[in-house]
Amino acid sequence: MSAAPRPVAEGDAILGVRPRLALEPASLDEAAEALGALARDRLAVAFVGGGTELDLGAPPSRLDAVLHTRRLSKVREHAPSDQIVAVEAGITLAELQRHLAPHRQRLALDPPEPERATIGGIVAANAFGPRRTRHGSVRDLVIGMTVVRADGVVARGGGKVVKNVAGFDVPRLFCGSLGTLGLVAEVVFRLHPLPEASATVAFEGLDAADVAETVPVLRDLGVEPTALAALPPQGAGRGFTVAVRFEGFAPGVREQVERTLARAGGGDRVEGADEAALWARHDAARAAGDVRAKATFGPGRVADAIEALRPLAATLRGGALVVHPAIGVAFAAGTLEDAAATAGAVDAARAALARLASGALVLAAAPAALRARADPWGPPPPALEVMRRLKAQLDPDGRLAPGRFVGGL
Amino acid sequence: MTAIAARIGQVVGAANVITDPAELLVYEADGLTHGRTAPALVVLPGSTAEVVEVVRIAREAGVPLVPRGAGTGLSGGARPVEGCAVVSLSRMRRILEADLANGWVRVEPGVVNLDVTKAVSAQGWYYAPDPSSQGVCSIGGNVAENSGGAHCLKYGFTTNHVLAVEVVLSDASVVRFGGPAPDAPGYDLLAPLVGAEGMCGIVTEATLKLLRRPEITRTFFATFPSTDEAGAAVSGIIAAGILPAAIEMMDRLAIEAAKAATGLDWPDVGAALLMDADGPRAEVEHVSAAAIEIARAAGALEIRVPRDEAERALMWKGRKSAFAAVGRISPNYLVEDGVIPRSEIARVLREIERMARDAGLRVANVFHAGDGNLHPLVLYDARRPGEEARAAALGGEILRLCIRSGGSITGEHGVGAEKARFMAEQFREPDLDTMAKVRCAFDGAGLMNPGKVFPTPRLCGERPGPYRPHPAEVAGLAERW
Repeated sequence: MSAAPRPVAEGDAILGVRPRLALEPASLDEAAEALGALARDRLAVAFVGGGTELDLGAPPSRLDAVLHTRRLSKVREHAPSDQIVAVEAGITLAELQRHLAPHRQRLALDPPEPERATIGGIVAANAFGPRRTRHGSVRDLVIGMTVVRADGVVARGGGKVVKNVAGFDVPRLFCGSLGTLGLVAEVVFRLHPLPEASATVAFEGLDAADVAETVPVLRDLGVEPTALAALPPQGAGRGFTVAVRFEGFAPGVREQVERTLARAGGGDRVEGADEAALWARHDAARAAGDVRAKATFGPGRVADAIEALRPLAATLRGGALVVHPAIGVAFAAGTLEDAAATAGAVDAARAALARLASGALVLAAAPAALRARADPWGPPPPALEVMRRLKAQLDPDGRLAPGRFVGGL
Repeated sequence: MTAIAARIGQVVGAANVITDPAELLVYEADGLTHGRTAPALVVLPGSTAEVVEVVRIAREAGVPLVPRGAGTGLSGGARPVEGCAVVSLSRMRRILEADLANGWVRVEPGVVNLDVTKAVSAQGWYYAPDPSSQGVCSIGGNVAENSGGAHCLKYGFTTNHVLAVEVVLSDASVVRFGGPAPDAPGYDLLAPLVGAEGMCGIVTEATLKLLRRPEITRTFFATFPSTDEAGAAVSGIIAAGILPAAIEMMDRLAIEAAKAATGLDWPDVGAALLMDADGPRAEVEHVSAAAIEIARAAGALEIRVPRDEAERALMWKGRKSAFAAVGRISPNYLVEDGVIPRSEIARVLREIERMARDAGLRVANVFHAGDGNLHPLVLYDARRPGEEARAAALGGEILRLCIRSGGSITGEHGVGAEKARFMAEQFREPDLDTMAKVRCAFDGAGLMNPGKVFPTPRLCGERPGPYRPHPAEVAGLAERW
């Protein structure tokens, strides 16, 4: 086949598990051919994009081959007037945004490391950034998808129009499935206009209760931020930095910033390069160290969630929290020092979060020492049996990233 | 079947089982009344526990189940199949819990869409999906069909607003997935369930995301010489980076019908747009003024801005009543639902006009222009021999035109029984096969709402491995994918 295996390199390993084969198909046909061949030989395979989310989940229980998507990097179709784009999975987010920018459009996703993170990886890992506050997650922006199944069959779902309810929603199902149901080969997204103006209001030294208050206060104020996050303080500062970003037409941004400053004292207006630097702090704080725990909770339980996560962050060197109060997600990141202590704190945090409107905690990154003591996914979800059957339908031999996902799937 | 009805009666109470042929008539069809099949019985369970028992009995007896909400669907999604039991969820209509601090409400499936908003509107909240039938359609039906509405351009469809569900599967197990907290670990089972048209199981509870009412809403109504200029205005507004909350188009016939029904003083023009912008005050004022300028530049004849909420409500009433209003100008009509890329609106409308002329019929268009979701209403007179068949054929050709234009056969009404045959034209066999596999994970027995969505009945493979014919295949009753 044309996508001939290349020599395996050190970087092909997934959480320490090395494959025997590495494949780099350059087209959908080659990808289908490669998966068909792997199916005939009953080989286990995992898919790799930019490698930014490879630490999420458990190591594969079996890994014969890795399939890299980096050569699947074309923009297949961009219809500016329909505000849709169809891309191959291996294109990086930054490259896609550069393609869209001259048309004054963007994909409203902003996970960290856009120069490395690929569209396929972002979809498979359900990666997101602060703009999820307004625009939702991957599933809210995906309108169509081409997947290659474990048996090498190419299947499409959704389409190229935003509104479409024909058939079962396969594209959304594949969001966050971590390559265990099939290869995400091409994705169609709805796009948003690039905003004419952007400004952020920043508050320093806020405590957990203040952070929790931001959501109802902004809601009652009638403003609509596109991003809202609480970041660790800079340098010797204390408390959280809360950043509230407004994007849109200049008059609207100006007025919302002024209203927010008037309602909540002590805020600063941040624009231009300073604004970019402030939001870069968000990305850096989320990626700090080798442990990254993602906690989820009902957005009305922000203060409780912060309390539940503080002991976990305290076990890490440089441990800090990044909170997305309106989404109901917080990250605890830092460097592992005492695996047993951190594992204990993970268990305690899980127990506390489960009481906060069905909250949970997933290890998005963890060294082997911690993974040995704490399941990266936590307790099995109540619908695990249906998930098992779904996996069995689409990957009956269990060859796609086996063991990587929830409940050993 | 009498024995089964009796057993089910012991579970739900004899008064909640219908077997009388006269009473069954109501359940022969949903909102799409021309396709009718009598069910063997109708059961109205009052709780999840009762649904579980009904499913258990039906499964043992091999009786297919057809879930039904308010019966307002327009694709035959709740159309019975021969020998089935219709499971009407209309008795399960309690709002169980509202948690405004976390922005959600938990409801039973029979709750009417608009009643969710009514329950929380005093506190300034609302439930966003707003199908035109929202005063009568139920949340369970909305979940099944992934219902949309005029405002999904900005706010999304039912799938973007369901946080969690409780479902009874065909093996009589009760599963819950999703949660008020985002990103529940595991597969996103809500994705295939919402819009599965009742083929995955019976939803007995749904947790819905609520939104805070936007600070202000600005509406305007613009008239145009033809749909060409109106379509250009829509494209111009979107190209300017504006995301309206809703932007609706009506053509000459639809305007005429709406006027006849509501007494609105709309002029006789070729096309009209109705646009909502909502959000923070300054942003909305700016956007609304900009959109009006774009509409003028595109050739608007007249712009009307409502003076107050009552006048705004009246404009929307004109739009929302347009479907039913067509009954004023035609004895019969078919409601179609197709999607095209927004940039194709003017071309496709001209093509539809040509096709209608060739068929000797009239088509009224009233639709969600912002997302290219057409609702062509094919007018006909059933008393004239052959006209109904010609209307149905024209409707089908319009759907094919949507597919050819890069769109879809349904934007919000669902595939149901009515459009299943077009699925094979929009999708290829492996696409349908993949969907069928997903369904099999939920309902391996094929008990739930059979005969919908898929162009040919599909069986779930008992186990992976070499192909072995199923007895039903040998008998020529079903095809494997």
